[in-house]
Amino acid sequence: MSTLSRDQIRAMMAEVLVAQGKQMPGDDQANLEEIGFRSLDFSELALRVEDEIDEELNFDAPQLRQIATVSDVLDFLEQLQAA
Amino acid sequence: MVARGFDGAWEQLADLPLPAAAAVAVLDNLQAVRAVWSAARDGGELLVASRTRLTSDLRDELRAAGLAVVDLGPDDDPSGGLGDRVDERLGDRVGERVSVAEATAPRPPSSGRVWLLTSGSTGRPKRVAHTLDSLTTVTGSQPPRTWLCPYAHGAYAWWQVVTLSLRHPGQDVLFIEPDELDSWPARALEVGVTAVSGTPTFWRQALYRDPDAVAALPLAQITLGGEPVDQAILTRLSELFPSARVSWIYASSEAGASIAVHDGRAGFPQEWLGRTGAGHATLSVVDGELLIESARRGQGVDAVLHTGDRVEVVGGRVLITGRIASDEINVGGAKASAAAVRDVLLAHPSVVWAAVRGRRAPIVGRIVTADVVLSDETTVAELTAWCSERLPEYAVPRRLRVLDQIPIKESLKSDV
Repeated sequence: MSTLSRDQIRAMMAEVLVAQGKQMPGDDQANLEEIGFRSLDFSELALRVEDEIDEELNFDAPQLRQIATVSDVLDFLEQLQAA
Repeated sequence: MVARGFDGAWEQLADLPLPAAAAVAVLDNLQAVRAVWSAARDGGELLVASRTRLTSDLRDELRAAGLAVVDLGPDDDPSGGLGDRVDERLGDRVGERVSVAEATAPRPPSSGRVWLLTSGSTGRPKRVAHTLDSLTTVTGSQPPRTWLCPYAHGAYAWWQVVTLSLRHPGQDVLFIEPDELDSWPARALEVGVTAVSGTPTFWRQALYRDPDAVAALPLAQITLGGEPVDQAILTRLSELFPSARVSWIYASSEAGASIAVHDGRAGFPQEWLGRTGAGHATLSVVDGELLIESARRGQGVDAVLHTGDRVEVVGGRVLITGRIASDEINVGGAKASAAAVRDVLLAHPSVVWAAVRGRRAPIVGRIVTADVVLSDETTVAELTAWCSERLPEYAVPRRLRVLDQIPIKESLKSDV
């Protein structure tokens, strides 16, 4: 299956934020709570990735851990694609 | 009666001698009405369905239930149907191959029994027993009309139109096939159709594709059923045909035709709940589900049928909003109603059709997604903003897909 690069996922994350009237921070260590990126946004981003690669992701595959920063989101989705 | 390849009266239909208990797999409406006419005349036991509907498994099941499966296929069909033998007596139309697969568990036929298949949208299709009498729900004298019947062969709504025509002189029918759904208004105008029955999806599709062609029809009766009927489509049709009676019917193979509303409004009056007496079904609501006790129900169906349909009482009207099993979308513990989201989308002036469902997602479990068909260049961002103003955040569709055309199944429903 095709996979999206970290930069591509970051760009999609920015789209989700902009659609909610928010800004994508320049720093990947930015705290999700502070930038207003919430559970629903995260879910939407995951589905955008699914649609883009035209493949169902196994959301249970990566070990669920705390996702607190932009970097955590990107790690998680990269990991999902590799699972 | 007008069907592809036929224009005449019932009694002019070519003979189709059938086994005494037969499930007839048909290619078109002409084959279907020939089967009906033969069974009505001979008192046989009958099930009619399109060939595509009768899968191999289903055919085996019907044969085990005592029905011979008669396959009216084209003679160039490489599969040759499932016939154990080809019966030359039955095939009197050019290009028609008739095969008969005998019942594997023969039994004496039940004279006059008509079998219907449920839609099977929530599982395997079930057989429901009726008779021509129980399927004939229109009584009393009727003004002469020519009906358009777009329904799938052998569906409950199809039988409603068929029995209306069989039992009431002056009720003519133009049958259209699935491949005529794009062009039916021109054909209806040519034949002189004055009454049309269809699902809300059928009507939305027709009005989206060619509203002028639909508006040109001299309709005196418009009927909707088979899916939740919302106010937007009723209003649109009432405005387009101000002198027509616009009705919606709640009917199913199991419940029979149980609710008929003619005031052009969605839902039915709240005072109908609990009403008893001859001539109408007894309706009740338990835990948000519509319960129906109807004399027109199928044989063997529970006297009080749990319909599986969710209802809400709003402003003195009981609104049927959708199926309980598929309506609730659990978004991280918050419960969104697919029907409520769909209503909000349909209330947008640019949305001509909408389907809402839950989609599996990380963290929250499911999120709300929607497919829409638009009449203009409205953007997804504008639709999202429209929903955000009217719905809680968890119910706002996060994935909104704009389709080019309204999807429709053979059942004339969207079922998506």
